[in-house]
Parts: sequence; C-alpha cells; structure tokens
Amino acid sequence: MPEKKTMVISSTEQLLDAKTRRSFLKLMGAGGAVFFLPSVLTSCSDEDDDPMGPAFGQPSGSGPAVVIDFSRGDTAIIQYAYALEQLEADFYTRVMAAFSASNFSPAERTILTDVKFHEVIHREAFKAILGPSNDFTLNTTYGNLNFGDRTSVLATARTFEDLGVAAYNGAAQYLSAVANLELAGKIVSVEARHAAAIRDLIAPKSSSQGDAGTSFAPKAFDDAFRPGKVVPLAQPFIVEVLTPRNAPATFVQGPNNNG
Amino acid sequence: MTTQNTTLLESIDPEIVDALVTRQDEIAQGAATNTKLAAALALGSIPVALAALSTDVYGQSANDVLDVLQFALLLEYLEAEFYNRGVANATVMGIPPADLPIFTTIQAHENTHVTALQGMITQKGATPRTKPNFDFTAKGNVAGFNFGAGQYATFQVLAQAFEDTGVRAYKGQAGRLINDKPVLTAALTIHSVEARHASEIRRLRGLKAWITGRSRDDLPAFTQAIYDGENNASQAGILLFPLGNNNGGGEAVTEAFDEPLTKDQVTAIITPFLA
Repeated sequence: MPEKKTMVISSTEQLLDAKTRRSFLKLMGAGGAVFFLPSVLTSCSDEDDDPMGPAFGQPSGSGPAVVIDFSRGDTAIIQYAYALEQLEADFYTRVMAAFSASNFSPAERTILTDVKFHEVIHREAFKAILGPSNDFTLNTTYGNLNFGDRTSVLATARTFEDLGVAAYNGAAQYLSAVANLELAGKIVSVEARHAAAIRDLIAPKSSSQGDAGTSFAPKAFDDAFRPGKVVPLAQPFIVEVLTPRNAPATFVQGPNNNG
Repeated sequence: MTTQNTTLLESIDPEIVDALVTRQDEIAQGAATNTKLAAALALGSIPVALAALSTDVYGQSANDVLDVLQFALLLEYLEAEFYNRGVANATVMGIPPADLPIFTTIQAHENTHVTALQGMITQKGATPRTKPNFDFTAKGNVAGFNFGAGQYATFQVLAQAFEDTGVRAYKGQAGRLINDKPVLTAALTIHSVEARHASEIRRLRGLKAWITGRSRDDLPAFTQAIYDGENNASQAGILLFPLGNNNGGGEAVTEAFDEPLTKDQVTAIITPFLA
C-alpha cells in the first residue's frame, strides 16, 4: 500500500517536480484541460494499489473542480469519456470486491466480472490515448449504496450503463477526427450490450418501453445527451466537481429530442 | 505497422504478445520502459490516434450521407421483415410465450427504424429504396428455413447474425456521416439499440452478450464473416493486450471493443439473403 500523500501546491514548478509515483498534476500548468481549483490542496491517489482512495466516500462535490475544457476539441471529448469510464470501472471494481458478501448468482457474477474487465480496459485505453492529457483521477462516492445487495447494485449499474450510452451518443457530434468517432463507436455498442444485459437481469425479457421502461431496449432510439445533461447525472457519484468549460453552445438532438 | 502487428500477433498467447509488445515499444522509443503498461502508455497520444486517419479514406459528401441512409434502410428492411415474419409465425415456430416479448420489442424497433430512415431520405429530397424480396435460407445456407414448425432455434441463430451484423454495419458508416450531425446522431442512437438487441439475443441463446475474439460461437460457418476482425486488440494505434493482465486477459480486451465492418463487407454478408 502506498502511503497516502497530501501535496500542497503553490506553483506549477512544484507540480512538475513532484516526486509522487503517479503525480497526476504535473501538467496542470502547461495549458492542460484539467485544473484543480483551488489548486492548493489535494490528494494524490493510486487507484491500482489503493482501491479505496484517500477521498473515496467523501460527499459528492466536496472535492476540487476537475475541468473539462471543450475548447480543446477531440481531446476534451476523450477526457470526458475517460471521466465516465473511471466511474464505471471504479463501480464494478467495488461490486466485485463485495462479491463475498453479496447475493448475486454465479451467472450474474460472471456477467458483472466481464463488465468490470471491459470498463477497466476502456479506462486504461483512454488513459493511454490521452497521454499527457490524462492527468486527472476522479474519486467516487455512492452514498449509502449497499454493494452486497443485488437489487441496489443492479439499479446503479443500469444508471451508469444507460447514461454512458447516452453520453457517447450525444458527444459524438463534437468529434472532428473520424478515427476518434470510430473509436467512440467501438465502445458505445459494448456499453449498450452491458446496459441490455443489466436490464435483463433486473427485468428478464421485459418489453416495457419508454423512459420508465424496464426492457433491455426501452426505446427504438437510444438517448443522446449533451455533456451539460450528463454531468449533473454523473456528479452524485463524484467527490470532485466535474466542471465542463467552454461547452459547445449548440447540440444536435437525437430522435428522442431529450438531450 | 499496427495492422501488421495485429495480424501477426492475434493468434498468439496474450502473454507472449505482452512480451513482444514491450520489446517492440522499447525499440520504438529507443529507451527502456518500466512496464508493459507504461510502454503502451508511452506510445499513446492523440497524434497516434490522428495518424490512424491516414489509413482510411472517407467521403463525407451529401451523396455519401444518402448512400449510408439507403444502405441502412436495406439492413432495416431485412431485419424488420425477419421479425415481422417471426412474430407472425411465433406459435408455429414454437416461440415460448415468455420469450415472445423480446421479439415483439425488436420487431417494433426495426419497423420504426425503417420508417425513420425513409423519412430522413425523403427529407433530403431522395426516394427511399423499395424493399427487396428476401431469402431467409441465405441461398440454402440455412436449408429449409421458412419460419416453420420447430424452427425457433434457427430463428434465434439468424436473429443473432442479423443483430451482430447491424451493430458492425452502422459503426462502419459513422465516419461517412461526420459532417451531417443530425443523421450521425440518429444513426448512432439506432446503432446502440442494435447492440442492445444483439446482447439480448445472445444471452437468450446462452452466450455472452459480447463478442469474444472472432468467435461465431455455435453459429454456422457461413456466418464467420460477421465476426472476422472482432479480435482486433489495437485501438488508436496502441496494442491493448497488456490491459488484460489480471483483468480478463486478451479475451476481455477484444470483448471491450466492437469492430466496424465496411459497406462492402456487410454487403457480402447480406447478399445471400437477397432473393
């Protein structure tokens, strides 16, 4: 276990000199999209070795701002996706960690384990793709969620997966590189496969349609949400304040006209 | 380079691939790297992602958009008719009442997609293509299939084939829509619904909801083209096998990304179903 460090930040030079093994602030001063405000006190976590994280479980919005600056174009969209994948990966990692005390069937555990694998791979892939622009780590909070309770976990999983699908579908229009659009497409359909599987665990073979529908596919068209709609829905699970900056003024609605 | 790597390495044990990747990255950087993941990360950058652009030639004109819409309409005609006939023959085929809601749900969606695509084409001043006649035996590849007695299992096989194809088909056309945001967004919201359908059908059939490697699982051999290329583990120019370490291995890496098919590839897949 790494010791939990607190870095007092007073200058960008200090950030660049930080000796922490995974100092995630080092590029803050280089015009990066991610700023921690106020930039004087934060914790440096290692999500791999310290899964609880120093800020895990603190109240939503009690941490510093994490800014996604959409003026950075495709990089910002990938950061946005990276943020969402961090949440999903963290969630399923905790679901798996609680298996010993949870009431999931073996078949359900297999599904949730696969989903955890996929989400961690998505997170790490974006981390790699972003390179120097990956320098932010979101800490999570789940209120009173009982990770041992099947019903509660599946309901939260459904929220994450449906939101992920809507977020990707709504953000694609802001991508300018075909390669990035294609990459987002490769991931969103896997999120949709997850969403349908989770929904089918909750309500098997349901045909219930609409916003409150329980079906694996509750609408003929999935939702497409603008970042300004997604962020408030994700924020309750985030300790930091996820802050879109320079978000595009225009948004082209999808067929459901609800984004 | 990446394409060659994938082709050469895809059938090799992921642990061996890891070693190769690490070595390869060291060479590429001319410097030692700490870990396999660090090696992958070091190569990862937006320029690498953008470089992938150079391998693709995309037209993005208004004519391309119409071409995509007409192509999508053909796929949706195929799916809609398949489920229309399946639901109409549910009792004959022996679809259990508990399963029927799955197919009525998908049926409704596919017919809605047909109507929506026709509307988008009309809105652009063009005429939607007419529905062709279909041959659901795929020229005898699915010998004797006619939505008949005892053919529910075969019906499910075809449903999986069509849904997994649909996901890859829409994905492959997204790039051609990049300059038409309303059509792009509409297409993507159909694309992910097709993925939901695929997930449900696959799980109904006792399979994973996601595609592992390039496996067609228990589908007949003539469907292999639907799954070829799904074993790609290189994204944005980065070979991602190391991300499967202690995390589901190479199989999970391939499951985590659905892959596109080109229009030509999809056409080859569905042509046997055109009467």
